[in-house]
Amino acid sequence: MAEKLEDLNLPLTVVTRIVKDALPDGVAITKEARTGLAKAASVFVLYVTSAATNIVKNKKRKALTGQDVLDAMRDIEFDRFVEPLGEALEQYKQIASARKSGGGYVG
Amino acid sequence: MTTPKSERELHLPLSRVKTIMKSSPDVEAVGPEPLYLVTKVAEMFLVDLAKRAHKNCKSNQLEYMHIAEVVQDDDTLDFLREIMPRKITVRQFKELMAKKNARRRNSDDSTEESSEEETSEESSSEND
Repeated sequence: MAEKLEDLNLPLTVVTRIVKDALPDGVAITKEARTGLAKAASVFVLYVTSAATNIVKNKKRKALTGQDVLDAMRDIEFDRFVEPLGEALEQYKQIASARKSGGGYVG
Repeated sequence: MTTPKSERELHLPLSRVKTIMKSSPDVEAVGPEPLYLVTKVAEMFLVDLAKRAHKNCKSNQLEYMHIAEVVQDDDTLDFLREIMPRKITVRQFKELMAKKNARRRNSDDSTEESSEEETSEESSSEND
């Protein structure tokens, strides 16, 4: 459980950095826009989580997997994220298995 | 213990994302793989939303209304509509109400109740 309400929001400083990196140099972002973006991303996390949990429930499984998160993207009609996210999952799996067999260090 | 490279490439804190995920009912444990992917997709979402909002900018300043516009125009962002209403000023609100009342007076003798929903979306403004 979250102890404070702000624990349910993504940190504003990190959100601002990500957004600044994505936009052309010199774009100013108002305080209200930053808060709005952070809030939107936080709610998006919940939205994705609930879509993925629904998949797990329908398949009568218990644990959430990466594939469920990927499938959830189609369910919520964020198909444009399926491909890059699938690549991220593959990459993650490779690194995770290399870590398991290679004694921990991945350079 | 070293962190895999791809995990280091993430910017958002995994612990915070995990807390948010666990606040959802029916979620008990969150493994590292789904946590990584949700964090990753949250970053993709943020970048996507910011870039689209930036297209609505006329000056070099990204404002709340630019984001709200994207949210209100894209049906897949319906889940954000309640938390990101288009904000309007009190003056705009009064003008809107005046127009609405005028329309109601006009439609009173012909067709009733047609302008009801149009303003409801915009009325939750100015209070945060």
